[in-house]
Formats: sequence, C-alpha cells, structure tokens
Amino acid sequence: MKTKRQKSGILTRLSLKSQTKAQLKIQQMAFMLMAITLFFVLAGMFVLVIKFAGLKESATLLEEENAMLLVTKLANSPEFSCGEAFGSNRINCVDFDKVMMLKENIDKYSKFWGVASIEIRKVFPKSQEICTAINYKDCGVIEVFSKDVNSLPPSSNFVSLCRKESEDGKIYDKCELAKLIVGSEDKR
Amino acid sequence: MRKRGYLQISFAWLFAIIVGAVILFFAIFLSTKLINTEQTTLDAKTGKQIGILLNPLETSFESVKTTSFTVPAETRIYNKCKTEGNFGSQIIQISQKSFNKWTETDIDVSFYNKYIFSEEYVEGKKFYVFSKPFKFPFKVADLIYITSSLKDYCFIKPPEEIEEEILNLNQKNLLVDNCSEGSVKVCFGFGDCEINVYSDYIKKNEETISFEGDALMYAAIFSDKEVYECQLKRLLKRTEHLALLYRNKAKFISPRGCYSDLNSDLLGLNNAAKSLSESDEDISGSGDLNYVGSLVELIKDKNEANKGCKLW
Repeated sequence: MKTKRQKSGILTRLSLKSQTKAQLKIQQMAFMLMAITLFFVLAGMFVLVIKFAGLKESATLLEEENAMLLVTKLANSPEFSCGEAFGSNRINCVDFDKVMMLKENIDKYSKFWGVASIEIRKVFPKSQEICTAINYKDCGVIEVFSKDVNSLPPSSNFVSLCRKESEDGKIYDKCELAKLIVGSEDKR
Repeated sequence: MRKRGYLQISFAWLFAIIVGAVILFFAIFLSTKLINTEQTTLDAKTGKQIGILLNPLETSFESVKTTSFTVPAETRIYNKCKTEGNFGSQIIQISQKSFNKWTETDIDVSFYNKYIFSEEYVEGKKFYVFSKPFKFPFKVADLIYITSSLKDYCFIKPPEEIEEEILNLNQKNLLVDNCSEGSVKVCFGFGDCEINVYSDYIKKNEETISFEGDALMYAAIFSDKEVYECQLKRLLKRTEHLALLYRNKAKFISPRGCYSDLNSDLLGLNNAAKSLSESDEDISGSGDLNYVGSLVELIKDKNEANKGCKLW
C-alpha cells in the first residue's frame, strides 16, 4: 500500500508531465503560426514585386506608345512646322531655320513633349556633323534635345527639312529629305 | 482535474483564435489596400492612355479633326490645369465606377503640350473629341474639346461656316437647329438659350467670356470659365515663346536677304502675351484679349504681305 505522501508525489509528477506536454503543444502551435505568417508575408511580398515590375513595364510601354504617336505628328506642331513659310501649307515639313532657333532656347522645352530625345537627321546628303548656326548648310544632324536617361529604341518618321537660301541675291526654298527621330525613356 | 484539462484546451484555442484573427485582419487589410492600389493604377493608366490617344489630333492643314473613344466602365474625366512653369500643365484625373461607387482619385497625369477644353469633369462611357488649331496669328496649339455622348449641344441659327463645320464633324451629340430634349442650347445672338454667342464674347451662367477666333469660341462654349481662363493663360504663355522664336528666326534668315519688319511687333506681342498670362486678374472677362487681337491682326497682315519670306 502506498502512503499519502507517495500518492501526492506521483500526482505532482503526473501534473508536471502534462504541463510540459501542454507547453510543448503551445510551442508547436506558435512555431506553426509563425511559419504560416512568414509564408503569407513572403507570398505577399512576391506578389507585390511582380505587381510593381508590371507597373514599370506598363509605364515604359506607355512612354513608347507616346513617342510612336508623337513622331507622326510632331512635324505639324508650331515649333517645328513649316506652315506657309515655304509656299502652300505642307504636311510633315520641318522648318530648319525655326528649329535652329528653337535649339538655342531648348531648356524651356525640355519637359514639353514628354519624351527623352528629339533629333533630326538628313537622309541625303548624309553627314554626321552636328548642326550649329555656322555650319547649318552642310551639317547632317540636328540634336534638338537629349535627356540623360535610359532610352528605348527610338521611333522615326520621314519629313522634308526646308530652309531659305539665297543665290545671286535671289531667295529660294531648299528642302531636303530627313528623318525625325523621337526617343522615349525606359522606366524599367 | 477536469477543470484543469478544460483550461488547458481553452488556452490553446484562445491562442490560436487570437493569432488567427490577427493574420486574417492583416490579410483582409492588405487585400483591401491592394485592390485600392490596383484601382488607382488603373485610373492613372487610363488617364495617360487618354492623353496619348490625343496625340493624333495634331492638325496640319486641316481646320478640324475629330475622333471618339469608349471606356469599359462608367468614367469621369476631370479636367484640371495649372499655369505654373514655362508652359503650365494640363492635368487629367480619372475616376471610374466600381461597385456602384466612384473611385477616389488624387493621381495627376500631366501633359505640357495639350490644351483640353471641357467642363470640370465629363462623365460617361463614350466620349467625343475634336480639335481645332488656334492661330494668334501663327498656329499656337491645337485646342481639344471633349464632350460626353450623354450630353447634347444644340446650335441654333449659327453662321454658315460654323454650321458647315459642325455638320462635317458628324459628331452625334452636336446638333444644328433640330434640338433634342435636354440638350444645351447655344444661340448665336439674343435668344432664350443656356449659352449666347456674340461677336467676340459669350454669355453663359450670367458670366461673360471673351474669345478671339472660332477655336476659342468653341473653347468658351464647351468649358467651364475656370478651365477656359487657365488654358487661355497657358496658350498665351506659348504665344509669348513662339513670338520670340519667330523673332529669332527673322534675325537668323535676314543675312540671306529675307527681311521682315515684324521685329518690333513680335516683341510687342511677346510682351502683351506675357503680361496677360502672368496677370492675376480674370482676362477672359475683360476686353484685354480683344485688345491684343488687334495687334495680332496687324502682325498677320504684315506677314501675309511679305510673300517671298513669310515667317510662318
């Protein structure tokens, strides 16, 4: 027969055992819950990263679309267009003299068209020489402006580049074939 | 013993319930935030897309160009404008109907080379857009007019050239004489109409809005006074810079024997445009614009007369 003291000792040991078991269960649960939370946080972060990458992609695509649509119509905007300066109204005609003057005050226009760069290249006669007010007759490239950003492959459109010329006191219009090139920013 | 066992289970359950609730709360909170962000992104994207789609409306020798676009959901296009900076800016905000509620929008999509004339906001699924060049005396910009298919404008007894232009636009919400019920009536001269057009000003909501030329007349008809005033100041800013550009061009081509006597007039136009665009006063309500109009006419005539060496 067990004494009262022995009985209570067995009971205490039993209760300690069950307490340790319960603590272990709580610990297990806590770890499980932490693992689940961590899993959801990581999954959420993964989704967010994909979402924001997609957002940058869309922004770049929109910039590209803007450049593509702009290049077809830029020659008709007042800062570039010939208007009636070279006879009747012409489509896709760029006034060389006006653009040269625009280039001198281009700082004001840096954000105006919402693109990264605008350039005009003569197709014929071909020359890599950058145009200035001195060499404008024989140059080949008018760098209207260029931002220091990552650029996408540019969009271009053929235009006629016209200017006033004079020979033996006679004034005439000289038009050459050129390419209007518009670059957009890569936001990725 | 039974009580202790009960307590032990209850604690474990309590712990799980609390932590579970916290996880659920964060999951719901984050999902709501994500949905809102998605909606804002969609609004911003739509705004940018609308702005980009307006690029082909740049006119060359045409007097007017028209198009329309449809959006998948009921949409409000907010037309805002700022005059700060070299050219000011055109701001588009988009709000779309989602679960029968308009999304709140504070994303500004800015453009510097666009001039949109409309009411504070236009609402609907289908929108009509047309553009017309504003010449002052050279082409300054293409003005873009946006109207909703839900709102009709009826022009009563317009001058022949306006009637012809409106009919050629073939825009379903612009009517001539055969007014539909609920349409906004535009009378040329006196008459019982919401808008009355006179030679160089219009009367709308008991307010006077002055204009110069047909492009600004349409602008005054289709837009709110605040939008008109702000866009007019932006147009004058561009006029100021273009006047300077043509003045420099005149100097640049003069050594080649291309002379024009527009130097001082263009400087005058530059100064007049500058003072009007920087004015804090209401320029569309005063006659100042019409005063500059007379200088513009003079410059136009001088340029026309200079046949071999026109500046524009």
